[in-house]
Parts: sequence; structure tokens; C-alpha cells
Amino acid sequence: MSRFLSFLSSIRWQDIVDILINSYILLRIYVLFQGTNAFRVLVGITSLWLAQEVAASIGLILTSWAIRGITAVAAVIIIVVFRNEIRSALQARNIKTFLWGFPNRERQTPVDLIADSVFQMARKRLGALIVFPGNQDLGEVTHGGIPWNGQVSNEMLMSVFWKNGPVHDGAAIIDGERITEVGVLLPLSHRQDLPSDYGTRHRAAAGLAEESDALVVVVSEERGAVSVAKGRSLTQMADSAMLSWALKKHLNMPDISPARRRERERLKLATAGCVSFLVMAGIWFSFTRSQDTITALNVPIEYVNRPANYDILDTSVDEARLQLVGSSALIKSLAPGQVGVRVDLSKAAEGRNSFPITQADIILPPGVSLNRIQPATIDVTLDLPATRDVAVQVDWVGRLPENTALSQVSVSPETVKVIGGSKTLEKTATVYTSPVRLDSLPKSGSTTAQIVLSPPSLKLAPSCPDRVIVQYRLEEKKPSEKK
Amino acid sequence: MRFFTIFLLALFCFPWCVCPATAQEQAPSTADPAQKLVLKEALMSERVENLTPVNSGVVFPVSSGQVCCFTSFDPVPQHTIIYHRWFRRDELSTQTRLRLYPSKWATYSVIQLRETDKGPWRVEIIDQNGRVFDVLRFSITD
Repeated sequence: MSRFLSFLSSIRWQDIVDILINSYILLRIYVLFQGTNAFRVLVGITSLWLAQEVAASIGLILTSWAIRGITAVAAVIIIVVFRNEIRSALQARNIKTFLWGFPNRERQTPVDLIADSVFQMARKRLGALIVFPGNQDLGEVTHGGIPWNGQVSNEMLMSVFWKNGPVHDGAAIIDGERITEVGVLLPLSHRQDLPSDYGTRHRAAAGLAEESDALVVVVSEERGAVSVAKGRSLTQMADSAMLSWALKKHLNMPDISPARRRERERLKLATAGCVSFLVMAGIWFSFTRSQDTITALNVPIEYVNRPANYDILDTSVDEARLQLVGSSALIKSLAPGQVGVRVDLSKAAEGRNSFPITQADIILPPGVSLNRIQPATIDVTLDLPATRDVAVQVDWVGRLPENTALSQVSVSPETVKVIGGSKTLEKTATVYTSPVRLDSLPKSGSTTAQIVLSPPSLKLAPSCPDRVIVQYRLEEKKPSEKK
Repeated sequence: MRFFTIFLLALFCFPWCVCPATAQEQAPSTADPAQKLVLKEALMSERVENLTPVNSGVVFPVSSGQVCCFTSFDPVPQHTIIYHRWFRRDELSTQTRLRLYPSKWATYSVIQLRETDKGPWRVEIIDQNGRVFDVLRFSITD
């Protein structure tokens, strides 16, 4: 019990927000893609991924590799094959619809009115072709439509398909309670098994139904029969009730009262929301709470809040070695910028300061915890910046020619202004040049040499040259002076 | 009484016999104590023979085996202690305490050279109050 309570107390508010955001994303994917073939394939791919994880965890190497390959290929294939469905699902009228709209609620098609109108047209021998889109975008399979955007009514339908009307030969598309397009040309079916008395109107209805998830109602001008094309089936409707039932089924409008339907929708959404939350919580905990992997990282130490007057003269270490624990997924995905050691120098004083590295100094991504750190303490030496005139000395190296003495040397300038920490400058009486070889001095003269500052924290004042002129005099050793 | 006389003689002779690395040049004790101690000559040399520096310069090969810092003071108003502080790359390597006697005095300190001594050196000549008379810079090379 105490373990459970300590586990609960370790959950941060950020973790709850994290789970909620991802649960909502999952719910939105469900809402946008539900009922589509792409959604079913997505579920299949998710199952494949889970199977691959299980296979990997129990050590089925070949199976795990095979499923991983299939999953990768399948993911590409569904994007290509179901591109229209994906586009339809993601094509929202506005950002609000995309983020929190529910497409099914918007569809308020007056099904009974349409069914009655269709049979009225059948009785009057008015040929008609009415398309009820599913989730798939029809833009790729239809063409030639005229935007209409009129409210569905008996009179409107009659006038569209009236024999002498200019658009009566094409199809009308009904989306929700509006006729969005008229005079639309549909693809013709090439099936050989259609009855011979079916004309072009029926072939067009069958063609569109085969190539999309739309439902097409066709009214025969010659026979006055009403048929419905959906998928590969073409069914004749006995009466308006049957047509109404078929339309409601296609439009996901169960034959119940609107209040009951809304209640059922809410229940469905609540269930989907709960499932999304549970799935995401499970994924989140398996990703972040598992402590099965330990890794060690060398992380540069960042010193912050340095007192304005001081310079950092020296530090005992430049990087710390952190031993981190977490789930293998989190440990594998660690990026260099996610882990850091930040030492606060706001309370540091002049001279040497020792800081123990605590948990508060370590920056870690959520779900990863610190097991050990080396070193446990960092020494930082702070110093006041100062300027000092320091003598320049030539660093002679090599060997002078035989019987030759370097009798005199002068350096110009003799001193340079050096900027650095005051403690460092106290110990710096001389700066040296880069090595000047004696072997290459043929006779008395002058040369130039670069000033080399040590330690590197020292800098030359801006007005000082970084090279000096060295004048020297070579003399032959007198015989009497020889050893 | 005889022992007291010997003790006084020994005390008088002390400065001439305790510093094997130094040599002195004595003159009659006629300097005025009000005068200031003046460094007359300071140079680096390979060796000192008869209080004379030999092979002076600013670069000495490590093969020469030793290097000397020769200093000569004139006048020396009173008995004084000076130091030769030998630094290799700003690190104090050795310090030699030397005595000066009126009225003028020459003295030197010497270090034995090893392979690890190569590099730039300097010798500070200072009195016991830290007053710097001169800084000599030289290098030990191949």
C-alpha cells in the first residue's frame, strides 16, 4: 500500500497533462478516422507493432525483425492506398472542426424527405442519380459538377432532375442537408454481370459505388424503379421506408430518436475517451516508469549566476559523469541537450569555493532519474579581473654554434599589459615568447617572436602587440674564456 | 683571556668561511653608513675565476654543468644580507643568502645544471627588505 502511495506521490502534474494531451490526440484520430478503411488498417498496424514488441521482449529475433519490416512497409502502403480517405479525414472546414468537431453530429440529412421525394420522382418517371458521400473524398473520381449548395427539399430535387432541366442528366451530391453539386459526371462501371436492362445511369451509380465508399441512389426513368448502389451491390428498393433505412445506415443514423442518438453518441465518445486515456496511461507508464536500463554520460558542467565582479579562474572538473536510470526507450532517446549539470555560483566568494552537486543541479528529462554522479563536489576558483605590466622574456631553445656566445638580448616592448584574475596575475611575473631557435641565428640582428600566455585565462590588453622584437648580439668566445 | 681573544678572531673570520658557493672581494672598511648600497655589476656567467666572471651571456648550454650569478656592490655602507632568488618559469627554484661587507663587495651564487633545467630562467637580486636591485634573465638550452 505504501509503495502504491509513494508511486502516486511521484506522479507530477506535468505527467498528468502529458497523458491527457496524448489521450486527446488518440481520441481525435479515432473521431476523424472512425468508420474508414484507413482506420481499420491503422488498428491492424498498431496490432502488428504490439506483436513485434512482444516478440522482441520474449526473444523471437526473426519474428520480431519480420513483423518490424511488415509494419514499416504497411505504413507506407496505407499512406499511398488510403491517401484519399486520409485527406478527407484531415480536410476540416476550419481548425475548430479539426481540433474538437465531431463529423457525425454535423450530418443532419433529411433522410425521410429524400426517400419520399425519390419515390415521387420514380412515380413520375423522372430519372435521378443522387450521391451520398461516405468518408472518402470524391474529387478524384467525379468531375464536371456545378456547385449548387441548396437546401434539400422535395421541390429542389424535383427541379434538379426535371426532364427539361439543364443538369438533369448528371448526378446530384447531397452532403448533410444541402445539395452541394449537380450535373456531376460519375465513372461508369465495367462490370459484365450487371443486368442488360441497366442503362448508363445505373452503370454510373455502380461505378462510383465501386470506386468509393459513397452510396448512390438511382431512379430508373423507363421502369420507375429505385435502386441503391453501395460497394459492389446494386439493390432495388421496394418502398421509401426501405430506402430511408438504407440511407440511415449509410449515414450512420440509427433509427432512434435524436435524443437517444445523441446519448448513444456521447456514450460512444466517452468510451473512446476512456479507452484512449487508459491506452495512453499504459504507454506512458511503460515508457517512463520502467527502470530497467542504466547508462553513464559525461555531461559538461554549466556555471550560472556568476557574481558580476568575478571571473572563473579555475574549476576542478569541466564535466561530470552521470549514471542515469530509466526505461530503455527513454535512455535510448536521450539527446545531449536534455541532460545537464548546472552549478549556481550566486553564493560563491573570491577564492576557492566547493559546491556539492545535488539533485537540484542536474537537469534530466521526465522519467529518467539519477543514480550516481562523479565527482560529488566541484571546486570553483573565482578571482577579480585585473591588469598588470609583465616583463617579456625570450624562450631560447636549440644549440648555439660552437665558440659562440649570446652576449646581449633586448626585447621590445620590454613589458606588456596582461589582463586576468588578480590571483593569477600575482603569480605571473613574466610572460614568455614562443620558442626561438638558436641554431637559426647566423649573426647578430633581430627577430620577432609571438607572446605565449599561460595559463590561457590570461589575455593581452587590446593595445598590446602579440609579437615582440628581439634584438640580440652574438659574439665569438675569446680563447682565454674557453673552459 | 686567551679563549676570549680566539673567540673574537673566529667571529671576525666567520663571513669568509661559511659560504662555499660564494667568493668575496674585501676592501678597507671606510664606507659611510649613510650611503646607499649600490649594485655596480650583475651578470650571468658560466663560471667565476678569481672573482672574475668567465663566459658571461644570456644563454648557457646545459653541458656547461653550472651557471653563476655574479654581483658586485660598491659602495657597501654596512654589513648587509642580500639574496639571489633563482626562478625557472616563474617557479622559485632556489634562493641563496649572501653577505656583503663594507666598503665594496663582490659575490656570486651558482647552480648545478641538469637536463630538466632547460628553459627560461631569471635571478632576482634583492635585499632582506625585498628591494629588487636587478633581475637577470637567461636561458638554459641544449
